[in-house]
Amino acid sequence: MNRCNELRVDTAEWQDGSALHAPSGAVQLIKRLSYVVLAVLVFSGCRKDPGFPDEERNMPFPLQLPIGFPFPAIPADNPLTTASVELGKALFFDPRLSRDGSVSCASCHLPELAFSDTVALSIGIEGRSGVRNSPSLGNLAYHNAFFRDGGVPTLEQQVIAPIHDPVEMDHDIQAAAAALREVEPYKRLSMLAYGRPFDAWVLSRAIANYERTLISGWSRWDRWVNGDATAMTEAEVRGWQLFSSAELNCTACHGGFDFSDHGFHNIGQYLDYADPGRERISLRPEDFGKFKTPSLRNVARTAPYLHDGMLASLEEVVDHFASGGLPHPNRSPLLQTFVLDAHEKTDLIAFLNALNDERSLDQVP
Amino acid sequence: MKNLPIVTLLLSALLALQACKPDEPIPPVMPPPVTNGTLRITVVPEWEGEPLQRFFEYRNFMNYRTTVELVKFYFGDVRLVNGADSLLVKDVELFDLGNGPSVKEWTVPAGNWSLMHAALGVPAVLNYADPANYGSGHPLSVSNGTFWTWASGYRYVVFEGRYSEDPTSTAPLISAYAIHPGMEPSYFEFDLVPSNGITVTAGNTTDLVITVAVDRFFHSTEFEIDLATENSAHGNNVPLQLKLVNNVVESMTIE
Repeated sequence: MNRCNELRVDTAEWQDGSALHAPSGAVQLIKRLSYVVLAVLVFSGCRKDPGFPDEERNMPFPLQLPIGFPFPAIPADNPLTTASVELGKALFFDPRLSRDGSVSCASCHLPELAFSDTVALSIGIEGRSGVRNSPSLGNLAYHNAFFRDGGVPTLEQQVIAPIHDPVEMDHDIQAAAAALREVEPYKRLSMLAYGRPFDAWVLSRAIANYERTLISGWSRWDRWVNGDATAMTEAEVRGWQLFSSAELNCTACHGGFDFSDHGFHNIGQYLDYADPGRERISLRPEDFGKFKTPSLRNVARTAPYLHDGMLASLEEVVDHFASGGLPHPNRSPLLQTFVLDAHEKTDLIAFLNALNDERSLDQVP
Repeated sequence: MKNLPIVTLLLSALLALQACKPDEPIPPVMPPPVTNGTLRITVVPEWEGEPLQRFFEYRNFMNYRTTVELVKFYFGDVRLVNGADSLLVKDVELFDLGNGPSVKEWTVPAGNWSLMHAALGVPAVLNYADPANYGSGHPLSVSNGTFWTWASGYRYVVFEGRYSEDPTSTAPLISAYAIHPGMEPSYFEFDLVPSNGITVTAGNTTDLVITVAVDRFFHSTEFEIDLATENSAHGNNVPLQLKLVNNVVESMTIE
């Protein structure tokens, strides 16, 4: 008889009847211990990542884009994820990024105004006046240079500037991040989005990603261009025809899906500029007085206008461009004078109003 | 399955018995030979041969009443050179002289060198990097007050203070000067040649003292800076930037 056949535990004897000399209690103990060892070995490989429920795992952000908009370039070291965008939005509205806790990004970039401001020069910490008009933050994801002189090459680096500017937030991004390191939800979202504790690097990346989600492209003009003949009034259509005419030449700078070439032009605003504009960055005299072409999307919401908010209304803007601007040596040759009667002026401005988004730029719940 | 408990037990016993084998003798590990030394750079600010005192009212070469409030500058691409041989010892370092001498220590392989080569400024590859990558304490940290947040680059030199053109006045100094060279035009390479060369020995510290005559920031053999008309440069005013970086380099001596 083969002794390797079954061991009958209850009688502790081989099937051939020969006795097994081990006492039954010890056999039971060995059996239990071995199952415990086996269970430990099997289940130790199944442990989940600690702390994050499955539904909160970091997923790509579902960025909604208007028809005809390309997907924006996203830096490899800052993927657009739900956690990073949520983190960035929270920071964008947090006044603790300023030295005295009074000024947030949203203080000068109001969501209801396409993330622009109501005044010529925004007011920062302790009532200090800024030096340039706050631009709208719509479609920043498509820009390749930031601020009105294009001095900063990435959205991530752009975040640093207002935090450090003495007339804006007057703070230090390292200090701001250190103070928020253990604060929720920053602590949790930082680990979830970037796998590292909250710091200046995370702060800049997260806000940049939130800004990338501020897409503008859902205006009545967009619906009209995409086939909805009722989306614009007859006046607005006439205004669009004027805008895109060779005579006015608006689209030379305000063309494309963002109504901006994102280039730099001197529009003859002054004969003697106090602000050097692009020249401060390039150090080239021919760039003196040039500023980045703003998008005209939501332009009816972003008064006052130009780099210093000099023009209070769209009527004044139209008058300026109709005049061809002042004869500054660097004035763009693309500017040309034109004449509009009262009705044409009204139509043109009606069209500009039709560039307002019909939904919020903010896609983050 | 009935045999599973026995099998598990036997495997466990086998593992346990393996662990009971006596360790084989471990051969002694000799520590690696020391090949590096320490190069200690001390940058000492002076005004006319005396230690620079911040906020103290001096007279500059034009007899202007002058104070110095901030003196900072970057050394970039610091190398030890001997003939055709060149050793990079530091990619970038910040010297802040506002509170007196600034001391930096760098680990350097042992060797003999004839001079130190560096640039006044931040090498281009670092100048446009993201400063959020650098924590507090790093030379390129945004907390140093040297980063141009609006232009994505660094101030190579921060030289600030106050002045008055009237040598007879006793009123508080109100007029300010702030000269911040930066960007490519101001990147200025130079050599510092100690009279006895630079010898770094393994396991030891070699001291180099660089004296900076801050009073000479305003005038050198080639350039003079008249604060009355040349008191501001923030990346712009390239002629003034170039004057200052030239004068700063010329003001340095090494021993």
